[in-house]
Amino acid sequence: MLLIIKIKNVSSIKNNNMTKEDILQQVNEVFIDVLDNEDININNETTAEDIEEWDSLSHIQLVVAIEKHFKVRFTSSEIQSWKNVGEMVDCIQVKAA
Amino acid sequence: MKQGDIFEIPFTVSEDIYEGFIALFKDENPLHTDEQFAVSNGFKGRVMHGNILNGFLSYFIGECLPIKNVIIHSQEIQFKNAVFINDQLQFKATIEGVYESVNAVEFKFEFRNAQAKIAAKGKIQIGILK
Repeated sequence: MLLIIKIKNVSSIKNNNMTKEDILQQVNEVFIDVLDNEDININNETTAEDIEEWDSLSHIQLVVAIEKHFKVRFTSSEIQSWKNVGEMVDCIQVKAA
Repeated sequence: MKQGDIFEIPFTVSEDIYEGFIALFKDENPLHTDEQFAVSNGFKGRVMHGNILNGFLSYFIGECLPIKNVIIHSQEIQFKNAVFINDQLQFKATIEGVYESVNAVEFKFEFRNAQAKIAAKGKIQIGILK
């Protein structure tokens, strides 16, 4: 729990040195928070098919939360191009750099 | 609509609204309907249902924005000070964020009473339908 709190405290700060693993870990925390499911453990291959709570409405909540968390803005075409979480992480890494 | 835009609307918790709320939702808890009960619990009179303010929020989103093709995604509200019959409330909503990627807009809002104290505050996120 302490680790989670620490991540939440520092993770909203834009960090040019974030690795994909860092981003994935923070995205996982956003998913846990938004979808209210402590058991979520995403990886690069995860898609909406793999998470029951990830529906069309929660997808909007996830995108908004991720944009706020990483202080980035996506375009609708970028979002539509993502095939899995890994591609979202790649996009975050580029935008947060 | 853009970040920083502000919307302000005066609302009054009228007798009609109060009675209509009870007629529709049947919440006749004595805190809302029994003056003596409310006073004995430390209030100056019957406490209005907090969810009447959610009705005002619904009106704001549905009727007061420059576009009509909107839907509420989520909202959270904290009740800070009790509201009483015929209280005049000043509602203020500020756009905190516009998320064009998913056609969503997030507002923060507050209701202030005649003494300028916050009766309730919160956040509401809407989607803009295509």
